[in-house]
Amino acid sequence: MAIFNIKKREIECKIVYYGPGRCGKTTNLEYIFKSYKKQVEGEMVSINTEGDRTLFFDFLPMELGKIKGCEIRVQMFTVPGQVQYSSTRKLVLKGVDGIIFVADSMDVRREKNMESLKDLQKNLKEYGLNIFKIPLVLQYNKRDLAEQGIPIMSVEQMERDLNRQLKVPAFPGSAMTGKGVGKTLQECLKLTLKSLHKQFNWAE
Amino acid sequence: MAINIKSLLQQAEIYRSQGLLQDAEKKYLEVATAIKNSDNIQNKNKLLKAVKKKLSAVRKDNEDVETAPTSPEMSSHVNEMIKKLFSFSHDKTNEEEAALEGAIALAKFGQFEGAITEFKKLLEKESVGVAAAKNIIRCFMTLDSIDAASTQMYEWESSDYFSAEQMEKIRSFFDEMLEKKGIKRDLAASDLPEEEEAVEDEEFLDISAVAITFDSGPHKGEQVELDVSFQSGNIISLIISSNDEHMIENLQVGVKLEDIHFYSPIAIFRGTGVVSAKTQINSGPKKGDYSVDIKIQSI
Repeated sequence: MAIFNIKKREIECKIVYYGPGRCGKTTNLEYIFKSYKKQVEGEMVSINTEGDRTLFFDFLPMELGKIKGCEIRVQMFTVPGQVQYSSTRKLVLKGVDGIIFVADSMDVRREKNMESLKDLQKNLKEYGLNIFKIPLVLQYNKRDLAEQGIPIMSVEQMERDLNRQLKVPAFPGSAMTGKGVGKTLQECLKLTLKSLHKQFNWAE
Repeated sequence: MAINIKSLLQQAEIYRSQGLLQDAEKKYLEVATAIKNSDNIQNKNKLLKAVKKKLSAVRKDNEDVETAPTSPEMSSHVNEMIKKLFSFSHDKTNEEEAALEGAIALAKFGQFEGAITEFKKLLEKESVGVAAAKNIIRCFMTLDSIDAASTQMYEWESSDYFSAEQMEKIRSFFDEMLEKKGIKRDLAASDLPEEEEAVEDEEFLDISAVAITFDSGPHKGEQVELDVSFQSGNIISLIISSNDEHMIENLQVGVKLEDIHFYSPIAIFRGTGVVSAKTQINSGPKKGDYSVDIKIQSI
């Protein structure tokens, strides 16, 4: 849940990168950290375990400047993707305002994408949130692997698998090269701020 | 065929570099099968050996990931950040509530020692004191430190830290937690009746090993010998290998062991004990194994 400080005219909101293990959530955040220096408010924090897997979360604070006369601060988090970190994932999701679901384009990860989306829906529901109503954007990551001969799913197939009912904005991308990373984030921020504006109804 | 093998190998390497270790393992196995089935590959054995080497490396990596601790103790810097980021009473209108939320977040992230320290700071605060006390008990119980929880309860009960009404709430919470774990309160080590404390600490001989006869589970009827890794008075610590799942399962906190042989330098004594704590070792050469404390009840 975003915090609206009326006196300071400041809004702090929370964006969470969700998705199956090793889909590229941390890589997305690392790319943002490197490429949006002006907006990044501090250091990126990663709490990892064996094999560079996210153990608790990654955290990156950003400052977007004034929008409609209000200072916007964004806290970006990633969740641990591995199945066994279910309770941590739920904890990180608490108070979320917008979600970027990173799906892995590799053929072999098809089931994992679907399982993770289902897990997201379940966890949101437990916080009384609806996956169809929350600002949500999909990213079909690792598109670049096709050039290396790795079997990947077509965007159409991923749309059918993950976005047939949700019908939310979706972007192909490659967090390794940065392709699509900015677009995905911008769209999610746009939807989130729109939703917060509706909620807090702040005006200049 | 050579092209196919090359492509499979490339896929395996990429899966491995992506950290998809199980997918990489499957691919390496496909590569090995393709090599075996191919008649026109030169250096077939050399290639197979190389693939097998990669296969065992990827299996080792996978094992390391699988056995990595799920909630290792973090630095104080990380703990401070968790407290700040996961306490949602940001408006600071209720600092005590925010501090409690921060400490609960630490516990939820498995940072129990840090959480207990934070909860202890809140015990004197009227609005959150009881909740902090309950959470201290919850942390000890999650850590399987029934002894520590009992000692803490005893401390609070024998002091005027809490009012009778507050103490009643904490006590019934503790009883509920014990019940959930299937432990009767009289088995919680610190609450053992005096008469069961048959031997004073100073009377204890050095115990170098024990032989436990299990009366249930897969080891039923068997006598298992274990070395004592540490002894403090009537508490002995044993290390149980993580491979011995059945024994770990059998030695639950609160379980009474009716037939133990205690090996001392003088003689072998027969007696009873109760499992008072069980913790997984998170670092060092015994990482992943369990340390089980047994409180000697009679020799």
